[in-house]
This record gives sequence, C-alpha cells and structure tokens, in this order.
Amino acid sequence: MAEQCILVIGGGMSGLTAAIEAAEAGYDVCVVEKNPYLGGRVAQLNKYFPKLCPPVCGLEINYRRIKENARVKFYTMAQVESVSAKEGSYDVTIKLAPSYINDRCVACDACAHACPAEKQDDFNFGMSKTKAAYLPFAQAYPMKYVIDGASCQKDCGQKCKDACKYGAVELDMKPETVKINASAIVVATGWNPYDISKAENLGMGKVKNVITNMMMERLAAPNGPTAGKLLRPSDGKEAKKVAFVQCAGSRDENHLPYCSYICCMASLKQTTYLKEQYPDSTADIFYIDIRTPGRYEKFYWKVRDMEGVSFTKGKVAKVENTEGDDVLVTFEDALSAKKTQRAFDMVVLAAGMESSLRQAPLELGINYTDEGLIVPSSLKPGIYAVGSSKSPVDVAKSVQDATGAALRSIQSALKLLPAGGAR
Amino acid sequence: MSERILNPDLGFVKEVISAGGESLKKCYQCATCSVVCNVTPEDKPFPRKEMIQAQWGLKDELFRNPDIWLCHQCSDCTANCPRGAKPGEVLNAIRKLSLQEFSVPGFLAKMVNKPVFLLLLLAIPAAILLASGAGVFPDGKVEFGKPGGFLFSLKYIDPLFTTVAVLALISLGLGIRKYWNAMSEGKPETNVPIGAAITETVKEILAHKRFDKCEVASARSIAHKLVFYSFMGLFVTTILAFIKVILEPQTGYLAYLGHPVAISESFITWLTVVFKIIGNASAAALIIGILLMMSNRVKNAAKAGLGSYYDWLFISLVAGLGITGLLAELLRLANTPAAYGMYLVHLCFVFFLFAYAPFSKMAHMFYRATAMVFEKKSGKA
Repeated sequence: MAEQCILVIGGGMSGLTAAIEAAEAGYDVCVVEKNPYLGGRVAQLNKYFPKLCPPVCGLEINYRRIKENARVKFYTMAQVESVSAKEGSYDVTIKLAPSYINDRCVACDACAHACPAEKQDDFNFGMSKTKAAYLPFAQAYPMKYVIDGASCQKDCGQKCKDACKYGAVELDMKPETVKINASAIVVATGWNPYDISKAENLGMGKVKNVITNMMMERLAAPNGPTAGKLLRPSDGKEAKKVAFVQCAGSRDENHLPYCSYICCMASLKQTTYLKEQYPDSTADIFYIDIRTPGRYEKFYWKVRDMEGVSFTKGKVAKVENTEGDDVLVTFEDALSAKKTQRAFDMVVLAAGMESSLRQAPLELGINYTDEGLIVPSSLKPGIYAVGSSKSPVDVAKSVQDATGAALRSIQSALKLLPAGGAR
Repeated sequence: MSERILNPDLGFVKEVISAGGESLKKCYQCATCSVVCNVTPEDKPFPRKEMIQAQWGLKDELFRNPDIWLCHQCSDCTANCPRGAKPGEVLNAIRKLSLQEFSVPGFLAKMVNKPVFLLLLLAIPAAILLASGAGVFPDGKVEFGKPGGFLFSLKYIDPLFTTVAVLALISLGLGIRKYWNAMSEGKPETNVPIGAAITETVKEILAHKRFDKCEVASARSIAHKLVFYSFMGLFVTTILAFIKVILEPQTGYLAYLGHPVAISESFITWLTVVFKIIGNASAAALIIGILLMMSNRVKNAAKAGLGSYYDWLFISLVAGLGITGLLAELLRLANTPAAYGMYLVHLCFVFFLFAYAPFSKMAHMFYRATAMVFEKKSGKA
C-alpha cells in the first residue's frame, strides 16, 4: 500500500512551515520540491524586511526541525505528476528526476573540482557559473551535490565519478516514480520573478546594467556572485548611483494586472543595502504609489529620511544604454510636470511576482486566474492553497497562512471537516 | 507652496466620457504615457497632465492650451498604458469638445458630431443641389459640362460652392481666433515673429515631421501623407478647373456674362490635361490613403483603440468623396447616365466635407497648425 501522508507541494517557506507544523503535531507529511534544495525563494534573499535579518538563519532552524522529525519526508527534484480525484484520499504519483548523486555524498567538493563542464548558475540568476557537478548554494539542504545531466556530457560524468572517494556518483541513476496516498494536500508552489524582458521599454536583457530586484538580492548576499559587493554586471564597477524602478510589470494590464505587494518594501530594503555599503551612494526610487501597508509604513519613513535617497512620482517607461555602460532612464516627474532623463550606474527593476502555476499548472481540478493564481473557492475538500500560489504575499503572511493550512490539513486527515467545508 | 483652488466641472467630465473618453477614469497617473510619447515637449509634457485635468473637470486648462492639439494621436501612450486608460482616445475626445467650444456657430459642431443629425446634414446639400436643377439629366453623350441640363446647374453650383467655402473659411477664422486668444490670455508676449512661426509650422506639416515620430501607429504616417498630399493635389485641380471654367472662350463664365477674353484653345487644352493628370493621380492617392487609414485603424484597434464617430464620420466622408468621384468619372467614360446620379452624390460629399469643415474632424488641420504656430511663437518648440 502506498505511503499515507499529508502532501505538501513546494518546499519553500510556506511549504516547509505547513509541513513542520503538521509533523510536529504528530502527522506524517510528504514534501515535494522541484529544486534540488529546500527553502525556495527565501533561500535566495539577502535580508528580510523590515527587520533586515538574514533569512538563512530562520531557514536553518527549519532545516533542523525537519532533520529531527522523522514524520517529514521530502523529495527534491520532484514534481507531482498526477492526482486521482477521490476527495479526501488522493492517490498521488510523484516523479523524481535523477541527481546522479546518492546519499553517500559528504559535500566535499571533489566532484565539482574535477568536473570539466560549466553551467549557468540559476540560483544567482545567471550572474555566475557553476560546475555541472555543483552544490546549489553554500547552505543548501539537503547538503548534497547534484550533477546537471544536460550540461555534463561525454566523459564529464566519468571524471566526476572518478573524483569521488565515497562512491556517491551514480551515473546510471534513472528517473523514479513514487506513489503516495494523501489525506490532504497543501499547495505551496510559490512564485517566479515576472519575466520583465517582456516589457521591452524597460531594457531587461538588452541594456547591460539593468537587473531585477531578485538579482539585487543575490548581488547583496554574502554567498552571491560578488560575495555581497554591489558591483554592476557589465564591468564590475561599484554601483553607487542606482535607480529603483517600481511596478516593473505589476499593476499593468499588459503584464501582471495586480500589485505584487512586496516590491516597494523590497526596493526600500535594497536601498539600505546600498546605503550601508556605500555611504556616499544615491538611490532614486521611481514609483506610482509607495505601498507599504500596515506597520511597514514606518520602514518607508526610515528609508525616506536617509541621506541620498530620493523618491520620484512617475513610472520609468524608457531605459537605454548610454556612455560608459551607464543606464539612461526617462521619466516624467508628475509632481513638477517635467520630462527628464537621468543616467545611473545600475537600474534595479522591481519585477513582480508571478505564480509558478502559470507556467506549470497542477491538475487538481481547480480554477486559476488568467495569471495562474489559484481561485481559492474552486479548491476541493482537503486541498489548501497557501502563500503566493493564490495571491502575491510577503514571507510573514505566507508563514501565517501555512500554519493555518497545517491545522486544516490535520482536520482533513482526521475527517473532521464536512465535504465542502471551510478552506 | 502656493494654494490654488480648483473648480471641477463635473459636467465636463461626463462630456469627455460620452465623447469617446470612456476610459478616462482608469488613469492612475503613472506617467508612462508622457515618457513614451515622442511628440510631447519636455516641459509640462502631455498627456498625463491632460488625463488628470480631464478627470478633475478642468475644462479651461485643457482648452486654453496648445497641448491637446500638439498630440498627433500616435497612440504610443494608449498601447503602453498599464491601465487601458487610452490617453490618445481621451485627448481625441477633448479635441472634439474643444471644436464645440471654439467653432462658430458652436451648435453646428454639436450637430456634426452627433449621429442623429447625419441624415439632416446630408439632406441639406442634396436639397440645394436638386433645387438648383442638378436632378435634370441631359440626354445623349454623358458630359458633366453639357449645355441644356447639367451645365445650367453647374452655373449655380460653382457660385454655390464658392459661397459655402467662403462661409466655412470665415467660420474657421473666427474659431481659430477664439482659440488663439484663449491660448494667449495671460501669457507673456515673446520675441518670436509670427511669420517665422508660421513658416516653420508649414514646413513641419509638409514634411510630417511629428507624425514620423509615432511608433505603434507608424504606418499611419504613410496613409496620412497620401491623404494629405492628395487633398493638396485636389485643391490645385479645383483651382485650375475653376480657371478653365472662367476663361473658356465660348462656354466660360466670362463669355456667359458677355465679357469673353481672348485665350487660345491650346492653352485651355493644356490646362485641362494638366489638371486631369493631377486630379486623377490625387484621386488614386486619396483612395489608397484613406483605405490604408481605415485598415490601419482596424488593425491597430486592440492597441490604439478603434476611434469614435468623430473619426469615422470624417474618414467615411473622405473615402466616400474619393470613391464617388472615381465612380462618377468611370461611369461618365462608360457613357452611362448613372454618371449624373453618382456625380450628384459626389457633390453632396464635397458639400458636406467643406461646409461642415469648421465643425468636423476636417478642422483638425487648422487647429493643430494653430497650436503648432502658438507653440513656436511662445518659444516652446
């Protein structure tokens, strides 16, 4: 008989929270994560707003809780392939992609050292390269290397294998299928940064020193491509004159019609990275409205009053390359009614959140908005959507949401909820 | 900061909305439009400020200003607008309302831009033409200037159309003067001579310099050039034809009035050949241009908006003018009496276009040119 558990789809902050809360209450949980590591987007962040503490810290606590709890079973490089439609008892097929490295791996780096092939580092949004045999990031959990089959061709795999003293490299590893029976399903599929190169006037992918807010997180992170130095991509020059372009793709019916909720706070937070690293730097934030709801307003006031930080009401709608790889930004300051151009060392686009389900919808018999967000009222009994799978949210709200979903999953597992009950 | 009291005219907001600016209230003032606009000045750019002025019902701010007419409705703003607020369409609606404000008599502008009055307005030239005998078709070979029937009516038609054209020009002049005064009110005098401003404007219009800056609707520039230059060509044709009608040794006006002038037959023949070539070439360009314009509008409707009655009335009239003119010519060459009927319809279109020019979209060329001259005179461009 297939293993019985509460299924959590997605091993980011929401998924981990739901899984750990349910497991610590005494329920078996299976986590399915498509990346080779747990932690999702939070693992890529340099700091949390508004406390400005490193997210790795909270992630490590969660990793430890998982390690210590036999009730949490997780599958990385895994995807849900099918879900049978029997309400309250879902037969789920999970497909596992081969990592070509087994559990004997001690993360000694010998395989990567020997590996002749390189690949683009997706964790750093392509701003650096890794070997084809690689550890996704320094604090990754599981602490296990992965070989990317597509970029490790010919004798590459054999070289990695020969370098491993522990017999951890398994080149003939095949995709696997796992079947489980889920008493409840928590959908915590999270988000992707919106592909802002679709907004042609914002220069992403065409203008050298234009990056996204998530790339800025990687630039600022000590474990990032520049070891935390804010250097612009084209020539490694210190990025001291930086523009933040808000609503890059959000609140825009040609892209994402909704407000992505976190981008204003993210840019304000990133302004503190800049000011902390280069006290003589300037940050120009171009906005339609600064949206810092609730207590976040205080954070806005704090950044607003910092020296060298200016706010311009007017959306940037033209971004071009100019002399010396600087970036020329055109905007209308709506308060003075002047159309102006200004050059910056680097431009950060506050790209919005797009539901991961837009690219890869789950066949759960549920309805999605045009942008791939789950319509909660369409969820079947025993299936719960959390975090950014149903609307753009920050980490704090995701965690609260996931905790609630853990309780609902338990109720569902205990068959306490009537069919069509509370979601 | 100095305090300013705004007096919103809510009725005006409703007027803009019903004049084709339905999307007005969707605007949330992000200023994308002013940035993507290639024809706006940098100081006080449009159309973001016009959008909020319209939302607030600040009618005077909008009308006493060259900006609404400096907009060429490239629709780059509309295509890039994150809210579907269609600034291009809204400004077009405001331009239409400003014609009602400035044109003399204003009620005609209201009528011309309301579909309910279309038949009535068309009936006027039809009635005048029929009353002047244009309905009497002569027998024999089809010839528009033939003695006995149609010719006689032509003797009425030329003075009639000349009178109409003069009245339309007077009306336009009055309207333009009102607009100019409204723009100048309270503005400091500048040193730029008016003559230089006019010359520059004419040069710019002939070259379609601003139109060529449009991106989304870049195809519109070609279509507009074709229509614009064909109108110029047809204007020249009309003048030359008029000269012929005056001077012709036996049948001309002067001969008819008993003051024939000595002019060689060969000059008349040469004149006829020249204006026939110009006229036919212009007619072909007009029909191609206006059909292109129609197809561009339909093709671009999703990005730029389809346009309103104000646009389509003008486009349809121009298309009708070109097509009936061409058909009348072909039917005449085929020697079918139906040619007379077609010519009559064609004349109705001509009448409509010119008599109502100060009130319809036809007036755009004059108001826009005025705005451009004002802009240059005030040293902004």
